Amino acid sequence: MMPDTQMLRKNVWSGLGVTLITCWLLVWLIPRYGGSGMAFGMHPQRLATLGAWVMLVCAVTLTLISFIQLRKQQTPLFASPSFAVIWHQFWPFLYVLFFIGLAIYLPLTWLAPFIVGALVMLLGERRWYVVALVAAVPTLALYLLTVHLMRIGVV
Amino acid sequence: MPELSAITSAFGDALTLHSIGIIFGGVLLGYIVGVIPGLNRSVAIAIAIPLTFYMSAFAAIAFLIGLSKGTAAGSAVSAILLNTPGEPSSAATCLDGYPMAKNGQPRKALKVGLLASVIGDLLATLLLIVVVIPFAAVALKFGPYELAAILIFALVFIAGMAGGSFLKGMAAGGMGVILGTVGLDPETGAMRFTFGYAELMEGVPILPLVIGTLALSEMFVQLDEYRRSKDGSSIRLSNNPDDNLSYREFKRTLPTIFKSTGVGAFVGALPGLGPSVGSFMAYGLAKRSAKDPDSFGKGNPNGIAAAEAADNAVIPASYIPLFGLGIPGSVSAALLVGAFMIHGIQVGPLMLRDHPQMLFTIFAGMIVASLIMLAVGWYGLRVFARVTSVPQNIVIPVVIFLCLAGIQVQGYGTFGLLTVFGFAIFGYFLKKLDYSFVTFLVAFIVTPMLEMNLRQSVILSGGELSILLQRPIALFFVVATGLMVLHLSWSSYRLYRKRRQLTSP
Repeated sequence: MMPDTQMLRKNVWSGLGVTLITCWLLVWLIPRYGGSGMAFGMHPQRLATLGAWVMLVCAVTLTLISFIQLRKQQTPLFASPSFAVIWHQFWPFLYVLFFIGLAIYLPLTWLAPFIVGALVMLLGERRWYVVALVAAVPTLALYLLTVHLMRIGVV
Repeated sequence: MPELSAITSAFGDALTLHSIGIIFGGVLLGYIVGVIPGLNRSVAIAIAIPLTFYMSAFAAIAFLIGLSKGTAAGSAVSAILLNTPGEPSSAATCLDGYPMAKNGQPRKALKVGLLASVIGDLLATLLLIVVVIPFAAVALKFGPYELAAILIFALVFIAGMAGGSFLKGMAAGGMGVILGTVGLDPETGAMRFTFGYAELMEGVPILPLVIGTLALSEMFVQLDEYRRSKDGSSIRLSNNPDDNLSYREFKRTLPTIFKSTGVGAFVGALPGLGPSVGSFMAYGLAKRSAKDPDSFGKGNPNGIAAAEAADNAVIPASYIPLFGLGIPGSVSAALLVGAFMIHGIQVGPLMLRDHPQMLFTIFAGMIVASLIMLAVGWYGLRVFARVTSVPQNIVIPVVIFLCLAGIQVQGYGTFGLLTVFGFAIFGYFLKKLDYSFVTFLVAFIVTPMLEMNLRQSVILSGGELSILLQRPIALFFVVATGLMVLHLSWSSYRLYRKRRQLTSP
């Protein structure tokens, strides 16, 4: 039973990431924004601090254990994925963010056919009637829901 | 104990045409979602919560419970016809369901799966009703010491049992606790992590959190996997007369169904284990206790019956800690808490005191949902078999749109859309890096309750730990938590040493 090298790498880097975030939480964010003032019993920051300490202890332990296991296997700490893999994981986020940006200025109902239709096409669908139908049905459903059932107008 | 009139009245409420219609809608939607590979129960409930805003509290919960039950039963269809489980918990169903369907008996396999699902679900629902009322009655006597100790124990237990690394589970729990403290401090009124946003004063809004971390992030994961996956072809139902399930064949699966329901109910009652553990445990047990274990994996109906009965028994049983103690033991139970919160009801033992009628009506609604599940599954078999062929490139864009629409419809505006996007990124990394999602969500949900009980305990005890000696239940759970941490740490260390020995030259 060989430990999964890829998972060990994930553990090391995610553990390190969580450790850094937790340090930032404990040193800066919680003392500054975690709430202040007189309190009977428990200070407003107490539970968040406790949660952050649990995270810190677990993340440090995870990083150390996984790092030692990786060293024992004599496998490198880095395994850079190709640009194509990174891009494939990244573009859906940009796609959604782009439409969220547009939704600040335009109602979502107007954007709906483009959100659905464009993604259907990007995922390889080329039959125009399928694209049109898949784009139209959710848009119509949203319109009917908000305008006629909920009576809150076009969102 | 409840009066008979309250129970009959609850059944009366659950059997109105309106209630049946709502539950039918939930079961039908759940069935469709369950049948479509890639969509799961959590995604379905997260997206459906906004739809329930305009329903009464009972209708909303009944709809969501119907949805939850429907997905569990529906996921067997794609497992049997496509060899792709609609839910991870139906993976065990694939082992015998797909070979049986390939051998020319798809309809028989589907009917065994359906009947096992309905019986497992119905029996576990009855168990829930029998167990939870006395359980909640006892829990009502608990004070803040006991509740705080039980909540901490539950979080550690879930972190350890939810699968994956215990350390990652605990870290995810820590994240949930920190996010759960956002908003006004109930005692001092101090602003915590609100950064001047009025929207955060009542805490992180639950809807963007669950839609982002469960549904939208899942779609990003699915998009990533879509690149690698190949299209599978679904087995079509024919009119073959040998493909009908006879009563004798069904009768032979009954002992397996009953045993597996017991396994599923036990697993479900323990927070954090989930239906996948239940279905594989029941499958393993059925195989070991069978006279012909070699036939398992080659299309044995008992394999399907075991997996489906246990899978469906887990869901009602997972509501035992929810209604009994207020602790959600699974993601779907945690989402139900969110739905209860939206409708202004505190779920837990207090429901028995404050909203007994509602509690009994929900139980009655659950039984109605089980029966509707049978009707929907039985008569919709051919239709659902066709739904399995809906391709991912249509499902994913529609679900992404529904995620955004759910936020806009509720009037969260730009803040909500950005929050949902932020939580989608967070959820994506949780899933990709294998951090326990259920621990995160349960920790987030129970943190306000935990904080209130801890604070009351500290005030009442004056900071004296020795007070625990006068509180045997609280002391028991404190000791149990310590032992659990030691046990899980020791197990992890043993696994580490075993791996080291195997890798050393």
